[in-house]
Amino acid sequence: MKIQFSLFFLLLLFGLACEGPPRDSASNTPRRKGEAASEMLKNIENEEYVMVTTAAALPFYVRHDQVAFKKWGEARGVKVSIVGPPDWDIPGQVAAIEQVISTRPTGLLINGTDPGLATVINKAVDAGIPTVVYDSDIPNCRRHCFLGSDWYQMGYKQGEAIVKLAKGRKGKVAALGILGMSNEEAGFQGLQDALKKYPGIEFVGKYECKNTIEESARVTSDLISTYPDLLAVSGFTSETGPGIALAVKERNKAGQVLVTNVDAEPTLLRLMKEGVIQYLVEQKREVFIWYGSQFLWDMAHNANAMPAKYLRHGVHSAPYEVNTGLVEIFPEDVDELLE
Amino acid sequence: MKQLLQDRVATLGILILLIGIGASLAFPQQFPTFDNLQQIVLNVSIETIVAIGMMILMIAGTFDLSVGSVLALSGSLAAWMLVQGYPMPIAVVVALLSALAVGWFNGFFIARIGINALIQTLATMGIVRGLVLLVAGSGIQDLPYSFIYIGQSKMLKVQSPIWWMLALLLVFHLLLKRSIFFRRYYYIGGNERAADLSGIRVGNMKLYGFVLSALLAGVAGILLTSRLGAAISSMGKGTELRVITAVILGGASLSGGQGRILGAFLGSLFMGLIANIMVLARVSGAWQDIILGLILVAAIGFDVVLRNRAGR
Amino acid sequence: MHLLELKNISKTFPGVKALKGVSFTLNSGEVHALCGENGAGKSTLMNILAGNLQPDVGGEIVLEGQIQAIQDFNQARNLGISIVYQERSLSDNLSIAENIYANCQPQNRWGFLDYAQLYADSKGVLTRVGLGELAPQTLVEDLSAAQKQLVEIGKALAQNPKILILDEPTASITERETQHLFGLIKDLKKTGVGIIYISHRLAEIFAIADRITVLKDGAYQATLPAQEADSPKLIKLMVGRDLGELVKNQKSTSNEVALEVKGLSGLKFQNIHFKLQRGEILALAGLVGAGRSEVARAIFGMDRYESGEIWVNGQQKRFSHPADAVAAGLAYVPEERKSQGIFPDHSVAENILAAQFAGANWGGGEGEAHRQKLAQQQFDDLHIVAPSLRQVVRLLSGGNQQKTVLGRWLSKKPQVLIVDEPTHGVDVGAKFEIYQLLQKLAAQGTAILLISSELPEVLALADRIVVLCAGQISGELNAAEATEEGILRLAAGMN
Repeated sequence: MKIQFSLFFLLLLFGLACEGPPRDSASNTPRRKGEAASEMLKNIENEEYVMVTTAAALPFYVRHDQVAFKKWGEARGVKVSIVGPPDWDIPGQVAAIEQVISTRPTGLLINGTDPGLATVINKAVDAGIPTVVYDSDIPNCRRHCFLGSDWYQMGYKQGEAIVKLAKGRKGKVAALGILGMSNEEAGFQGLQDALKKYPGIEFVGKYECKNTIEESARVTSDLISTYPDLLAVSGFTSETGPGIALAVKERNKAGQVLVTNVDAEPTLLRLMKEGVIQYLVEQKREVFIWYGSQFLWDMAHNANAMPAKYLRHGVHSAPYEVNTGLVEIFPEDVDELLE
Repeated sequence: MKQLLQDRVATLGILILLIGIGASLAFPQQFPTFDNLQQIVLNVSIETIVAIGMMILMIAGTFDLSVGSVLALSGSLAAWMLVQGYPMPIAVVVALLSALAVGWFNGFFIARIGINALIQTLATMGIVRGLVLLVAGSGIQDLPYSFIYIGQSKMLKVQSPIWWMLALLLVFHLLLKRSIFFRRYYYIGGNERAADLSGIRVGNMKLYGFVLSALLAGVAGILLTSRLGAAISSMGKGTELRVITAVILGGASLSGGQGRILGAFLGSLFMGLIANIMVLARVSGAWQDIILGLILVAAIGFDVVLRNRAGR
Repeated sequence: MHLLELKNISKTFPGVKALKGVSFTLNSGEVHALCGENGAGKSTLMNILAGNLQPDVGGEIVLEGQIQAIQDFNQARNLGISIVYQERSLSDNLSIAENIYANCQPQNRWGFLDYAQLYADSKGVLTRVGLGELAPQTLVEDLSAAQKQLVEIGKALAQNPKILILDEPTASITERETQHLFGLIKDLKKTGVGIIYISHRLAEIFAIADRITVLKDGAYQATLPAQEADSPKLIKLMVGRDLGELVKNQKSTSNEVALEVKGLSGLKFQNIHFKLQRGEILALAGLVGAGRSEVARAIFGMDRYESGEIWVNGQQKRFSHPADAVAAGLAYVPEERKSQGIFPDHSVAENILAAQFAGANWGGGEGEAHRQKLAQQQFDDLHIVAPSLRQVVRLLSGGNQQKTVLGRWLSKKPQVLIVDEPTHGVDVGAKFEIYQLLQKLAAQGTAILLISSELPEVLALADRIVVLCAGQISGELNAAEATEEGILRLAAGMN
């Protein structure tokens, strides 16, 4: 009896010691109050800007994002660091962000890989750290600024290019990418919407590429066998392009099956020169990284002289959203780009 | 002293302590803060829960590669049901039942039909990952507050997954030490045929082991989804290998018969500590994998050398 | 000049002195038997000779008058030393030929395997060891235990050794094959090969050896010419004490039937029927492969059987798992101690307590303290020789391992105890203790089913003997009327 009573008491005590998460952590309304913005100004001793990404060892990220970030750091004369799990691991990225928050960097540049980052981004904002998201926007989070490309447009542009390059030919179109990733799914949707207007061209589906060249080649080869009237294949990662092109070449369908892809890596450009790839659409990654970092610096230093009374009310100096636009590449541009 | 050095729980504990002291000296502002230390434990808490199940299986001389997928399935299914409007308790129970069903599926084919555990759980890993893609698609957000509360609330300023982990560690520590039921796993791992001939129903026990491991992965999935506030279809990728690594670091042997629950915790904690230090030291990308691999070889190698010396 | 002379060989492991200044000589054309209990140092001495271990400083190995330091197995082979281990060194998944010539296959001039030569050579080796009817391409996994042992010997002979070491070569082969092996040994003697013969079976030693050397606790005891040695003398040297009369048969059989088997048929046995009474020791005799162990496994619920009935204490039972058999009061000590009996890396206490975890028990049982007491009691009662209950069983001698397995079942107080080759690989001292234990249990009313290939053991212990031949009962004998020849005739199917 005595034990039961004390157990009950202990539980009660624990109950009182509990606190729920902030109510708005999953709500849709961006919160714009508190002293967070004015606190930001204090973190400029030991100035350090941290980029947190997932798949930190992905060559595509290393060549574009990380090079641009380091260049910006050199130009500004500040310390920049890159942190994150080497492989594609969203919980790993969340953990990395949480650990970086506790080291209180001057600014956080977060690769918007997944909507699941919302909670931890809010945590960074609540800790008073200037936080910028790049690449894909994260819904339901209170990040200070987002810079990136419109993935729906990346798909839509590919669809328009296919119609243009088909020159009246009819047939089937398929898409390859990582299923389940929000930006890729938006791209698939854009592609579908662009093709809808042309009755002779039919979208047959989106296929998983497992983000490898081998799998992309295999799927494409199967598609060629399945649909004799395959008109085009659109790729949505840097790995799909070489895979699709390989299969099209091996089946002697170059030029007959149109290939479009995102990005403009040298490999892809060379394949375009060979005549296997007909259209590429590229993000301006260096641009969003550069300005994202610069916005962080501006927020921390209040460089654009926001009046203090604004800052006190949580208004900050960065833009809400920046679309850095797209680069479209056609075969006639390729020689110049490969120089 | 010699005995102390042969007990992995003791050596790993000392190692963690030494690394902790080293990190405190190297990063006095950042490492030894309540926030950071809590963060380390929070980050390992969910995989430690998976590691409990894996430890039990590895004591029995087998393992489960599908835990990462099961974790994702349970979390995604719960999130999907919540978005459909089902109440929180029902969503959680159904999610756990789905994990249980996967565990039974594994256990049935391994223990009753006789498929090799590596092949069976590798196949399940793929099957369940496919199911996760069907359920979660490009991710499920906007989960209700009642569900968020499970993984984001705090008690005594410590976030709930840590309490869940501590409670499960304590329960399974006692069960593995005291209960007839769980002691049998040590015999099964020690010599399966001798265990059978001693009247231990090895097949049934293995079946229960796989069910338990999947169930714990299911609990971890609920906690992770709640903590992230969203279901992500790539949740749990690579979890199985990290957990197996942690469990082996914590004193389990690939041939079975050895291991303690405390070891599973210390193994996870050790990996979390190294990851934390690498973030603090801003070690990036490929180097993390290289350093973690080298530490693993060094830790296990040291242990083997020590054992061989003592064995003669 | 001796073919081989070992002078003052010592070997120290951390904490243990395994050999203390042992000297040993071998002449060409001689069979020199090496005797001693398990742990006496025989294996260590042979491992030094085979290059697996290095002796302590001060010892010398003199081979044909030259001092040699044998660094590894390959060097030993090049010096003409071949060893047939007690534990098998064959790969089940390869053919006989590839096993015999492992690592020294004949090559053609391109450096590839010359299969024609390999098979021809292997055929010759097989004929020498009496397996001429087998094709060299046969996979080793398809061979019986006895055939594997003979292939193992063939593998050693293929090296054309000057010195052949045989470690328990007859442990798993039948009488007929043993005779063939002895013929082979005699042929080898004529060609001048020196043979070191290690065995527990004293009768064999007297049949084949020229000289006998006894080791005890790592120390040299004596070397006797075979004509001067007899069993009591050797046992006294090995054990260091007089064992006196082997065992006394005590009458304790009652009329209550503890176990009855009616018309039991399975994959390797047909229509087996016998009754086992309380307090009785019933032996299942027969050659290796006659189906004795299979009958025991079927009774214990380990293997399925096709038809027939099993009655325990007057009730018909069908065990789907050993757990059911244990619940009904049965216990089984398996033949393959290492792979089926012990938990090698667990402590003595944990090994003894294994059967406490049988069945459907979920809870905490009677508590850890109670269990520790139970383990301690068996440890004391059975005189298990180990530093403590916490000692890992792998490090114990065969006899103490077997006692540990017996202790596991005695702590359950079984009504029917099935023991399969209980003294296989057990040294003489422990053997007698196990005999006495079985007799004591029978006197207390336990029904014991004894499976054994050692006829003196069967004759000494059993009240009745059921003989199996090719899976069928070929006869039943009373202890009083049974002789070794009688059993062998039935076992071989001669009536």
